[in-house]
Amino acid sequence: MTVKTLLLAGGTLLVSASAASASGFQVNLGGQKNIGMGGVGVALTLDQAAMFYNPGALAMVRENGVQVGFNAAMARSAYRPESGGGQSNLNNKLVTPFNFYAGFGPKEGKWKIGIGAYTPFGSELHYASNWEGRYSLTDINLRSIFAQVTGSYAITPQLSVGAGLVMLAYGDVDLQKDVPLTAQNGAPTPHVTLNGKAKQSFGYNVGVLFKPSDKLSVGASYRSQVDAKIENGDVRLRDVIYSTGAAFTATNFSATLPLPGTASVGMAVMPTEKLTVSLDANLVFWSAYRTLDFTFSGNNGYAKDFAKPGENTDSRLGSTTTNGVTTYNTSSSAKRYYQDALCFRLGAQYKATDALTVRAGGFFDQAAVKDGYVSPETPDADRIGLSAGVSYEFAKRFGVDASFLFEDFLKRSQSQSDLLNNGTTDRVAGTYKTTIAIPGVGLYVKF
Amino acid sequence: MKRTFNYSLPALALLGLTLGSCQPTLEDTRPAADAGSLNFSSYVAVGNSLTSGYSDGGLYNEAQAASYPAILAQQFAKTAKGPAAFVQPSFSAAKKDGSGYVQLRVVNGTTTPVQPSAANSFLGEQVAYTNNPAFPSELEAYTGSQPDNLGVPGISVLSADKTASASGNATVDAQTRGAAAAYGVLNNFYQRILPAADRGTKDYVTYIGQKTPTFFTCWMGNNDVLTFATNGGVASATNPFSGMTDTTSFGRGYRNILSTISKNGTVAGVAANIPNVTTIPYFNTVTVAAVAASFKAANPASPGVFITTGTAAAPVVRLATSADLLTLTTQGYIAAVVAAGGTAPGSLPTSPLPNNYVLDATEAAAVVARTTQLNAIIAKTARQNKVALADMNTFFTTIAQQGIVTNAVNNTATFASGNLFSLDGVHPTPRGYAVVANEFIRVINSYYGSAVPTVAPNDYRGVLFP
Repeated sequence: MTVKTLLLAGGTLLVSASAASASGFQVNLGGQKNIGMGGVGVALTLDQAAMFYNPGALAMVRENGVQVGFNAAMARSAYRPESGGGQSNLNNKLVTPFNFYAGFGPKEGKWKIGIGAYTPFGSELHYASNWEGRYSLTDINLRSIFAQVTGSYAITPQLSVGAGLVMLAYGDVDLQKDVPLTAQNGAPTPHVTLNGKAKQSFGYNVGVLFKPSDKLSVGASYRSQVDAKIENGDVRLRDVIYSTGAAFTATNFSATLPLPGTASVGMAVMPTEKLTVSLDANLVFWSAYRTLDFTFSGNNGYAKDFAKPGENTDSRLGSTTTNGVTTYNTSSSAKRYYQDALCFRLGAQYKATDALTVRAGGFFDQAAVKDGYVSPETPDADRIGLSAGVSYEFAKRFGVDASFLFEDFLKRSQSQSDLLNNGTTDRVAGTYKTTIAIPGVGLYVKF
Repeated sequence: MKRTFNYSLPALALLGLTLGSCQPTLEDTRPAADAGSLNFSSYVAVGNSLTSGYSDGGLYNEAQAASYPAILAQQFAKTAKGPAAFVQPSFSAAKKDGSGYVQLRVVNGTTTPVQPSAANSFLGEQVAYTNNPAFPSELEAYTGSQPDNLGVPGISVLSADKTASASGNATVDAQTRGAAAAYGVLNNFYQRILPAADRGTKDYVTYIGQKTPTFFTCWMGNNDVLTFATNGGVASATNPFSGMTDTTSFGRGYRNILSTISKNGTVAGVAANIPNVTTIPYFNTVTVAAVAASFKAANPASPGVFITTGTAAAPVVRLATSADLLTLTTQGYIAAVVAAGGTAPGSLPTSPLPNNYVLDATEAAAVVARTTQLNAIIAKTARQNKVALADMNTFFTTIAQQGIVTNAVNNTATFASGNLFSLDGVHPTPRGYAVVANEFIRVINSYYGSAVPTVAPNDYRGVLFP
């Protein structure tokens, strides 16, 4: 199977994760079995999803196989403004991140190759209409599909390495907000939509797995940053107020969003043949995300200056360089100043019978967004995740994985004075609270 | 063991549904609305145009509904000790647009403020003029019970108290006191709320003394400097209230007003002081540099803008500097003269801008100095009557310099697009009034230990665009 056919499969789904199920807008739903174990995987050889968690581990995965997993992320978010007024909720929406892997190698061979597709970054939020932050953001839908080809080689029976070529195969973003201008006669509030597709770009991942005994394995992996670069995105305007039309001449925009790199280390112990306990730590290099800069093809905002009473507009048009002439913005820059985020994960699985495996795990994931920088597009916070899963295998060939992950974001507040101090008044003061429930199901075949 | 799986899968699904539908709820962490020791059951607002809800160069029902006293009354009501009804002297529904208001219109492709007048059919507004030839500005009378919002556009401390004037010139004092007593037939906004029998005899101090408030706000004194300033620092010989009020007269009048409404310091309330009027858009929108540039565009040899300063008896014509402030009306005036075939006023030393379009550097400094003196009197009088002081001077200065951001909306003191000041360049928009109301609430809460909730300014509109 080639990358292209994979994309066709993914293209019919166009999936994304809701409210990002890991720090920032990262989505850590790489493999169905791993999800059930709190997202550990760097030191594990559970299945073909190893190529996502640690390509070095792929060579140690015993069977060849094909697997697919789907998740149904249900985010529930609440916001209460500092300025008073009641709670706003998200309009509930179900989104479905997926993962797909196929791994192949000779039986008892030293190498293995694989292909995969997954959705490591994304966010989809739709705020209730008329919420307090509508001039900052009303809707965001950020989607990405990555495709990967991987090779892994076992140098010795104890040590294997691997690397993958990672491609941002599809990415798009849709950002919407209201414009803070009021029309006469109760006409609707103007609304802006920025919609664009990312150019395809490449990155890589590498990893190593060391398994000194049947009872212990350690692993390390690194996934590089990939930039989602949007050029010639569409600027769509609705209900522009006639007299302010000259201020909104932009039809295209460009912007770049870094999808940061991740370094991970992990350890797994297998005290018995049936039990595996694993511990992972991830460091996501979110500090690469400093500012979100948009460049527009024309004017993106309302005039800073209007005609004065009785002004002779002819002379005004003729003297465009003088003080008092209308000026507009054609670019924007918003501070993000993300910080590197650490995540600790703990998970275990128990093989109850030959066919049935049960799993449980949890994690603590640090926020990528600093205090006083929380914006409606990523209501990020430190969070705790708890998960459980089961797998059932038929005839040692086919299997079903089921997982359930619940994430609880710690309540997070910022005041208007925090925003003023940070120069981040393009977002709103108040308190955010989010929970996400993500049931998921996967199917696999081994051969 | 297959049974375990068969049972656990539906259980997982059920868990998913339960947790998935778990909408977080956030407690309101703001302190519960609490009046503390205050009783807002009869809240009375004393003041001028700013208190009446005047906006866009007029008083009309929509703006009046968003006056800061109306917003305060609405917020006071949330403490459960607020007024059951706060009465504002509205116009009847058929004449809801009152004195009419300036609107932005697109004229020849440019957005520009247009003043309503008989010539343009008042822009289609439902104005309340009575067409009384003896009093052309007369408005439909307000006939309800005495309102709680007693704001009268145009009123000053000097014109509010028939005993205030103490300039030292007996003739002037007699004339000024007489005019204050007769203010009900001089000011169309005061006239319309006074019962017919009181017109021409009852001064404003006596009028507000009829109320028995449990809480009040008093924002007086602005017109004791503003009227002079907006007329370019030129006092009219026929209007005794068109100059800057001297400190002696202001002190007498202000003490009278505040002791009357506070019942000699026994009623709780807030006194607000006078913002520095030189920071408002009225004086900072049409700049000397912009007018000079337009002259230069027409005539590259133009040396700048010639203005008239000094007194009527000894006028001085000179080139304007950036320290001289031009009024918002300057550009319209120049355009009108040019349109009539005249020489652009200000373009030549022989046709300078008239004095009343320029608040020159000396006059501006005098206005600021007098504002400081009057504010000292307001602060002292507030202390003597044991009421809170809202330092609107500092508040407006901060806003003029930095603007105020409300839920991601950047509101500034810029004319029109700033959203805080209405199209007259002097008075706030409803959003501006909401911001003012929040400042009053902050002062009340801090002085009296109450917990009156603030409002979200974005719920109130800024300037309306066509």
